[in-house]
Amino acid sequence: MKPSIKTLAFTLVSTFVLGAALTGCNGGGDTPKTEGDNTKPPVAGGTTAVRPVPPSEGPMAEGDTIKIGTVCSVTGDNKPWGEDSYEGSKLAVEEFNAAGGLGGKKVELILGDSASKPDQAKTATEKLMSQGVIALIGEVSSGNTIQMAKSAFLKGIPVVAVGATRTDLGNEGTHVFRVCYSDDFQGPVMAQFAYANKNLRNVAVMTDNSLPYSQGLSKSFITAFEKLGGKVKEHFYASGAGGNSNYSGNLTEIKGENPDGLFLSGYFTEVGPIVNQARAAGITVPVMGGDGWDSDLILASGGDAIIGGYFCNHYNNADNRPQVIEFLKKWRAKHNGKDPGTTMGALGYDAMAITLNALKNAKTVGAKGILDALEDTVDYKAVSGDITLKGMNGNPDKRAIVVEITKKDAAGNWQKFAKDFVASDIKK
Amino acid sequence: MDFSTHFVAAFELTTLPQQLINGLLNGAIYALIALGYTMVYGVLKLINFAHGEVFMLGAYGALFVSWKLGYQPDGNAPPPSLMALVLMLLGAMLICTIVAFFIERFAYRPMRNQPRIASLITAIGLSLLLQYAGQIFLLNGTPQTIQAEKISPFSGNVVLNLRGADQSRLAEAEKLKPAWDAAVAEFKARMPLEPGGEFNLSQEGERLHTKQGDAERAYKAALNDGNAGVMKIEVPKGQVVLFTITIILMAVLTYLVMFTKQGRAMRAVSHDFNAASLMGINIDSIITFTFLLGSALAGAGAMMYCTFIPGTKIDSFLGLAPGIKAFTAAVLGGIGNIPGAVLGGLVMGVAEYLVVWAGYDSYRDAIAFLILIVVLLFRPGGLLGSAKVEKV
Repeated sequence: MKPSIKTLAFTLVSTFVLGAALTGCNGGGDTPKTEGDNTKPPVAGGTTAVRPVPPSEGPMAEGDTIKIGTVCSVTGDNKPWGEDSYEGSKLAVEEFNAAGGLGGKKVELILGDSASKPDQAKTATEKLMSQGVIALIGEVSSGNTIQMAKSAFLKGIPVVAVGATRTDLGNEGTHVFRVCYSDDFQGPVMAQFAYANKNLRNVAVMTDNSLPYSQGLSKSFITAFEKLGGKVKEHFYASGAGGNSNYSGNLTEIKGENPDGLFLSGYFTEVGPIVNQARAAGITVPVMGGDGWDSDLILASGGDAIIGGYFCNHYNNADNRPQVIEFLKKWRAKHNGKDPGTTMGALGYDAMAITLNALKNAKTVGAKGILDALEDTVDYKAVSGDITLKGMNGNPDKRAIVVEITKKDAAGNWQKFAKDFVASDIKK
Repeated sequence: MDFSTHFVAAFELTTLPQQLINGLLNGAIYALIALGYTMVYGVLKLINFAHGEVFMLGAYGALFVSWKLGYQPDGNAPPPSLMALVLMLLGAMLICTIVAFFIERFAYRPMRNQPRIASLITAIGLSLLLQYAGQIFLLNGTPQTIQAEKISPFSGNVVLNLRGADQSRLAEAEKLKPAWDAAVAEFKARMPLEPGGEFNLSQEGERLHTKQGDAERAYKAALNDGNAGVMKIEVPKGQVVLFTITIILMAVLTYLVMFTKQGRAMRAVSHDFNAASLMGINIDSIITFTFLLGSALAGAGAMMYCTFIPGTKIDSFLGLAPGIKAFTAAVLGGIGNIPGAVLGGLVMGVAEYLVVWAGYDSYRDAIAFLILIVVLLFRPGGLLGSAKVEKV
């Protein structure tokens, strides 16, 4: 039998679908239908919808150890974040166990690898739950965290997100918390920085259409920037299976529009090449972005062009908070004197530490106990800032730091502090 | 009407020539990869789904050669050199040839006398195997980038002016420049009095900062006004090199296929497998030859893709997107047909950029498949392929 054109067409379509399904896209997966970041009046913590309550009480700790799971992108695109997040969580657990654990009972941290993909994050979460974990830490990206939250909902296991900033994450249920700020803060911060501090009025935005994170951040940036009186034109690209690293099409259009700034809401993996190619195409305006830029790999792919770019971050190694100094001392002792390469080291530590703190305060040693204790967290002194979760719908009011990218110095630092923002700095 | 105004407003003629050239350059890479698909299909009637992964390994080959030559992301790199580029190109082609040899010998040849679906499944399996094994074994799956700006001696752009600026308006704009310069100087003089630095200005500092920004905007706006009608094509020199090498490689391929004994044998095998073997053609060696040729082209494509499109991230899934596009290009042009693959690649490349030009950049990756479906509806054999009625 010779293949007819029908079989050809069939194989074509099926490979594309197969390819797309197997590789996914960075943040892809199901995006929740509730989108109302800006349409309804916000309540405390930024979320608007009524958060569903998990239908079950969740498991109790069984066996000799208390099992806590973490889903991390230790392979794939977000590997630099995933590894730091895991190392941070591990550090917090070791510290807790060294201090005697919970009345002598040790905490066991189990790692699940999401390979930076939402479908595998779901699988990893389910595997961890079947191993009897009573709390989950992760993920560094919103697309993956949404999948974790969906899986953990029915079992009532709390999920403490490390770096998932998408605004509507909390709508997944009352079991979802995070230790980072959300995009409805990050977007306005960058908008205000661009408008007031960098004096920009006409900004081109490039959104990665295959990342829920990028879509959400662009939306909140655009809304805030337009409210301030600026003009925005949004452009789209895709980083997923059908993606292409040649951005000359978007950049030619942007160049023709003569913007005075460029806002890139995607991840460092795409931002580096975009900025590199933008400079080559003769676009010399300031470039800005969100916390998705935070990995020193952006220096390799962005080249000289990325130097002088600004992005919004959660904390800075050069910060003089006592918690940061203490954390860096412990981190360096474990990693040959090196600082964490990305912010996820500190956030992974914070997510774990706040969970362990909840475990200590919990009335019962089980998922429900931790969940309630997490909800009662008030003014916890974390590395990346003070965290209050009580009445915040899982979204703490954190501060944000705008940093400038510099060449790497001898100590490996490449982020220069520019300005910090807290919630009250944002003009409503 | 709302829709029509949007539709018309989106067509900005000044960027059209540039986008067409962008599309051609983009399509050249698709064409180069598509040749591999189409040649293998021609002789073997097998769609080599692992071709994208051969492409990916070629990129790694180029990356490792560049590292070996000292162009690491950190530390001091040697000066840019043409020789390094040539070595990277040859390195990538060599790696791909070796990989293709083993793939053909140990994965496809044992399947040759089995039903064709078995070969197809083998190809898909191999593709996935290389992707996911690569994630573990190739630099632990950390994405890497070739340090193109340190290696390539081809910096800067080739510029072709089609329509100049409005000189009188530019002269008008220049009159605004002194005001901007003055505002910059004034703000600069104020800076030492600002303890908070650039981003925590006092009220007076803020006023001067705003003034500077307003003056700059007024000047730039006037300048943009004067430049509004400028129509020019600007192509990075590296991409000109890319296009030239692609054309040379295609010429070499045409020569090999049309004017050499191997090429004639290749065409014979493609025409009728069994009859060719009866005529004394060594089928195995011809198939291997075809495989290696197609893969070497993929290697060259990979090296150029990762070097001349700056910042391209190399990981084990690199081959996926170009692979799917190139495969589509091959089918579009008529699979098994060599000029068809080139035409298909160029059509797809240009179509993608026209979509971006028209303002529908979200649909950039969808257009290729839309064109494919439409073409296959009217010309089932592809643009240059012949539709045969097949007896089953």
